[in-house]
Amino acid sequence: MGRQIGEVILDLKNISLSFGGVKALSDISFDVREHEIRAIIGPNGAGKSSMLNVINGVYRPQQGEIVLRGEHFANMTPARAARAGIARTFQNLALFKGMTVLDNIMAGRNLQMRANLFQQAIWFGPARREELAHRAKVEEIIDFLEIQHIRKVPVGRLPYGLQKRVDLGRALAMEPQILLLDEPMAGMNVEEKQDMCRFILDINDQFGTTIVLIEHDMGVVMDISDRVVVLDYGRKIGDGAPDEVRANPDVIRAYLGTSN
Amino acid sequence: MAFFIETLIGGLMAGMLYSLVALGFVLIFKASGVFNFAQGALVLFAALAMARFAEWLPAWFGIESLALANVLAFLITIAIMFVAALLIERLVLRYLVNQEGATLLMATLGIAYFLEGFGQTVFGSDIYKIDVGMPKDPVLILENVFEGGILINKEDFIAAVIAATLVTLLTLFFQKTATGRALRAVADDHQAAQSIGIPLNRIWVIVWCVAGVVALVAGIIWGSKLGVQFSLATVALRALPVVILGGLTSVPGAIIGGLIIGVGEKLSEVYLGPSIGGGIEIWFAYVLALVFLLFRPQGLFGEKIIDRV
Repeated sequence: MGRQIGEVILDLKNISLSFGGVKALSDISFDVREHEIRAIIGPNGAGKSSMLNVINGVYRPQQGEIVLRGEHFANMTPARAARAGIARTFQNLALFKGMTVLDNIMAGRNLQMRANLFQQAIWFGPARREELAHRAKVEEIIDFLEIQHIRKVPVGRLPYGLQKRVDLGRALAMEPQILLLDEPMAGMNVEEKQDMCRFILDINDQFGTTIVLIEHDMGVVMDISDRVVVLDYGRKIGDGAPDEVRANPDVIRAYLGTSN
Repeated sequence: MAFFIETLIGGLMAGMLYSLVALGFVLIFKASGVFNFAQGALVLFAALAMARFAEWLPAWFGIESLALANVLAFLITIAIMFVAALLIERLVLRYLVNQEGATLLMATLGIAYFLEGFGQTVFGSDIYKIDVGMPKDPVLILENVFEGGILINKEDFIAAVIAATLVTLLTLFFQKTATGRALRAVADDHQAAQSIGIPLNRIWVIVWCVAGVVALVAGIIWGSKLGVQFSLATVALRALPVVILGGLTSVPGAIIGGLIIGVGEKLSEVYLGPSIGGGIEIWFAYVLALVFLLFRPQGLFGEKIIDRV
């Protein structure tokens, strides 16, 4: 692989998050290096999705901070995260169902669009050129994800596996530096899982995108990740290369249970 | 034949005006999933502001020309609608992100009462007139095709043209521009829209602003026909069946729904009226809406909503 894992790009420090009396995350710290594939795994209810939602600014942790490229974010919001180059996909698909595949992915370019409302309204020079340029970029993504044949189909009509791909395409259209994937393989059959793995590796390799992914299917994750964080009941119980994590007794206990 | 066409044209023109009000509902529903009960109040509020400023400006600044006074009043009212949109987002909607549809509906009900009360407090509660210089006289057309020609009302005709233009522009805006796409994206999924960096707050201001302008145009047209008075707020009720017929999520649906109801009302009044006792115009739209709710609840063009249990 041509990629070179670089400096720490995203650093999460002592994150604690609770909903009322329920502690979803307690004092979790880990970092993500540039160009790496970083996985967060754990059994159901371990706090994986909460963690992703904290990075993305959907949830605001009661304690801790997010440092992104040296910049401290005390209160991250989804809008700020998007502007800072963080894109995400969703576990339970959140696509724009009434819109076509093409429009869904074009919407991902929203932030890059500069023409003002008035120019757009009269389909004036800059707005028009801009739309065409973005369209070219979107077609590249569509080719990359091999969904040319469905580009004009409303997303709501597509099968689940393809919808997942559109979700990924929309995130890619933002040309993110960090891509957060929330259970990208959930609910897929073996073939679809293999495709998704290939796309994730290609994105990482070709675009140099840093990837943070959540998964509870341990097998897949171990194959494609550089480093893995393991959560259980909102605590971090392991962090390191896949082999290290696999050998960690705490992790084995969390996944397989224990007989005292 | 000439009489039939005359009735048909009358119906189409009335329908165009229903479409205009229905469009206000559809715009806000599409962009925020809110069924905006305040649309009628927006129409009343905008019409009141327009009527009063057109009256006050000449008195304050000694403006002689009626046209100038009207243009200035129009611009001021647009500015007021913009401020209203800003305040509605700032003070109400911002706190209700990702809430249940019913909660948002109740909030717009509150906005409706506030706008009606506030509007009448500031602008007065008498009957005012809007005079934008629309010709009131009827004209005869196609005199050489039909005997006696077809009588149409010039005012209705101009109103229909204005409504049609506005509807076309809005449709293009929604389908062809990046902001339009962002609006549709917000309508489909708030969370996903936020994740790709679409600013929800700004989108809501834009859409309430557009709904305000649509309300203003509807208010001017209805106001100049009927006078500006409290009953304008209930014009919106006439547009409810239109929205049910056309589908809440469809701009073309609002237009075609409006036309069907306009034409249906007039034709049934004229041709069925004598045999079943007249007065059909008043209830026709609602009965049609009921039938649609029974057999095709998503409307003619609405998206079928399938919820996973």
